[in-house]
Amino acid sequence: MGLFFKLNPTTGQPLYLQLMQQIRHAAETGALRDGDQLPGIRTLAEELVVSPNTIVKAYSELQHEGLLDLRHGSGAFVCVKRRTRSMADDVQFARRRLRDLLDDLRDNGLTDEEIKRAFEAELLYPAPSTQLTRKR
Amino acid sequence: MTNPPVILTRDLTKSYGAATAVRALNLSVQKNRITAFLGQNGAGKSTTIKMLLGMVRPTCGDADVLGKRISNAKENCELRRRVAHVAENEPLYSYMTVEQTIAFASSFYPDWQPDHAGKLLSQYRLLPRQKVKTLSKGMRTKLALLLAFARRPDLLILDEPSEGLDPVGIEDLLQTLVAKAADGASIFFSSHQIAEVERIADQVCILHHGCLLMNASLDQLRQSYRRINLSFASAPAQQDLRITGVEKIRTEGRRISIFASQNADAVIARARDLNAVSVDVAPVALREIFLETVREN
Amino acid sequence: MLWYKSWLETRSRFFTCLAVLVVFSALFIHHAQGFLHPEWKTEFNRLLFIAHEYVVVLWILSVVLLGMGGLRRENAAGTSSLTLSLPVGRAHLLAVRFAVGVLEAITLGVVPWMTIFVVADLGGMPVQFPQIVFYASLLVGGGLAYFALAILVSSLVEGEYTAPAVAFGPLFLATIIFDTWLRRFDLWRLVTASFFVDRTTYLLSGPFPWLAILASLCVAALMLLASVRIVQSRDF
Repeated sequence: MGLFFKLNPTTGQPLYLQLMQQIRHAAETGALRDGDQLPGIRTLAEELVVSPNTIVKAYSELQHEGLLDLRHGSGAFVCVKRRTRSMADDVQFARRRLRDLLDDLRDNGLTDEEIKRAFEAELLYPAPSTQLTRKR
Repeated sequence: MTNPPVILTRDLTKSYGAATAVRALNLSVQKNRITAFLGQNGAGKSTTIKMLLGMVRPTCGDADVLGKRISNAKENCELRRRVAHVAENEPLYSYMTVEQTIAFASSFYPDWQPDHAGKLLSQYRLLPRQKVKTLSKGMRTKLALLLAFARRPDLLILDEPSEGLDPVGIEDLLQTLVAKAADGASIFFSSHQIAEVERIADQVCILHHGCLLMNASLDQLRQSYRRINLSFASAPAQQDLRITGVEKIRTEGRRISIFASQNADAVIARARDLNAVSVDVAPVALREIFLETVREN
Repeated sequence: MLWYKSWLETRSRFFTCLAVLVVFSALFIHHAQGFLHPEWKTEFNRLLFIAHEYVVVLWILSVVLLGMGGLRRENAAGTSSLTLSLPVGRAHLLAVRFAVGVLEAITLGVVPWMTIFVVADLGGMPVQFPQIVFYASLLVGGGLAYFALAILVSSLVEGEYTAPAVAFGPLFLATIIFDTWLRRFDLWRLVTASFFVDRTTYLLSGPFPWLAILASLCVAALMLLASVRIVQSRDF
């Protein structure tokens, strides 16, 4: 299970947030289903070679969000609600749109690194013009 | 913070004549965290560790380790029972064999786990009958680590633990540290291998010329530090961009590069106000944070 | 296991010194047969007295070597970080090292004299056991002060070769000073039995000097205490 998670210490994002995103993503795409058990804190920490506190933070935040159910002594279990399952479709659709956009940008001569940085810049610090269109 | 820190220093100072190795150090290391201690050679890391373990007497100031005062010889002796220390250059007795060394060390600690020691012995491929003086550097490091890892200490203090290990050995070391942390040990280690530190540390302390320049959560550093590359039609004066959080500004023609420790969004807002043509934000790796912090001082 | 560590550290020095002392003692007594007149007794006793002087010199050399080592030496060798990380006080470390050394010193005093007794007895010489006991007791009881001096020097000097050199310096100096001005308190004369030998029969006579031995042991204890204080105050 840990093989599908990959945490990058240099991307500027706390590791526990990365793990949370990846777990959420796995749940959204159906790789993790309702009732699946995630590895224990120690096991996952050893496998990913990260501090156990990272796993603890990620699991407890996800429990707060309702995605995980932490049963004392038994482990962390996935709770995928109906809402999340329909979100999986939204995410599938978004992925297709992104694929098209990426093809366009690459055709225009941008490298993947440049695209990624532009994306991050926009997401984290959006320019005023896009902020206006955000309001739906 | 309901848990008292495992290490708490109060103006801990060590001077050798006119030279000061450690300057009024106020360090706090939290329980159940992996804390990395970074600094150049001669920054005072080893001296600090030696003071904590009673090997060196502080010139002034005091500290508590696991709630015991380091300056009281009896209390220091007690705390050493619950602390596992792997010193720089992995000291071992050259006249002993591997198994004699293990038998010797294990006799002092009630938390010694013989089964685990046996497992580590075969994992590290150490020959019990081999004399320590014939061990290679990597094997010495592994034996020194075994003496610490075969116990269940409350606090693990390691000074450059990966020195002498090959990449596989380093990976094993990191996994073991993480496992120990999961078992409830607090880990305090110094290392020059910043890439390793970045993978497993929760907290980072930077020591420079005996002063503590930084004691921050690594997640916090990851979220706050940014390198912002701007380009302008005509570059403004650096002063205009120097707001809180800006550590370094470099101008090259119409391009300005900013190294910010916090407030990146305010910097970008200011850049846009000054009509920046392009704004490029990149995260900063721990190595760069360390180098910039140390060079700044 | 501290005793075991001290033993491992001093083992080869101990066995070498023991071998030298035993071989020397045995050969000295054994070859004496050829040099002695038919008039046995006085000559034999004189032989013992001379043998003792040599044994004392060798014994003092041995215990000074045995007294070397300790935390200062470990600091130079790089292992003091390991020893000082142990949950053991510095006084305890020194005490164990001292105790192991004392046991070795006693053995180095007793075994050669037992050898002399056995060789002399087998050779039919008129050896008297109480005399042997007197000599050995003077050596060990009085001589421990030399060992304590070695321990004290090892807590001050860290060089592997400079430490024993430094130890011998004060030793010679003290011997000369006491011999010249403080004859009554001369430890050398106590240990070599000069005070107790009858110059006609060459037998050791008189009551056993318990007080003098006690005084010597007190001096040894003071030097040990000083070593402890020094080691406790030092940075490693």
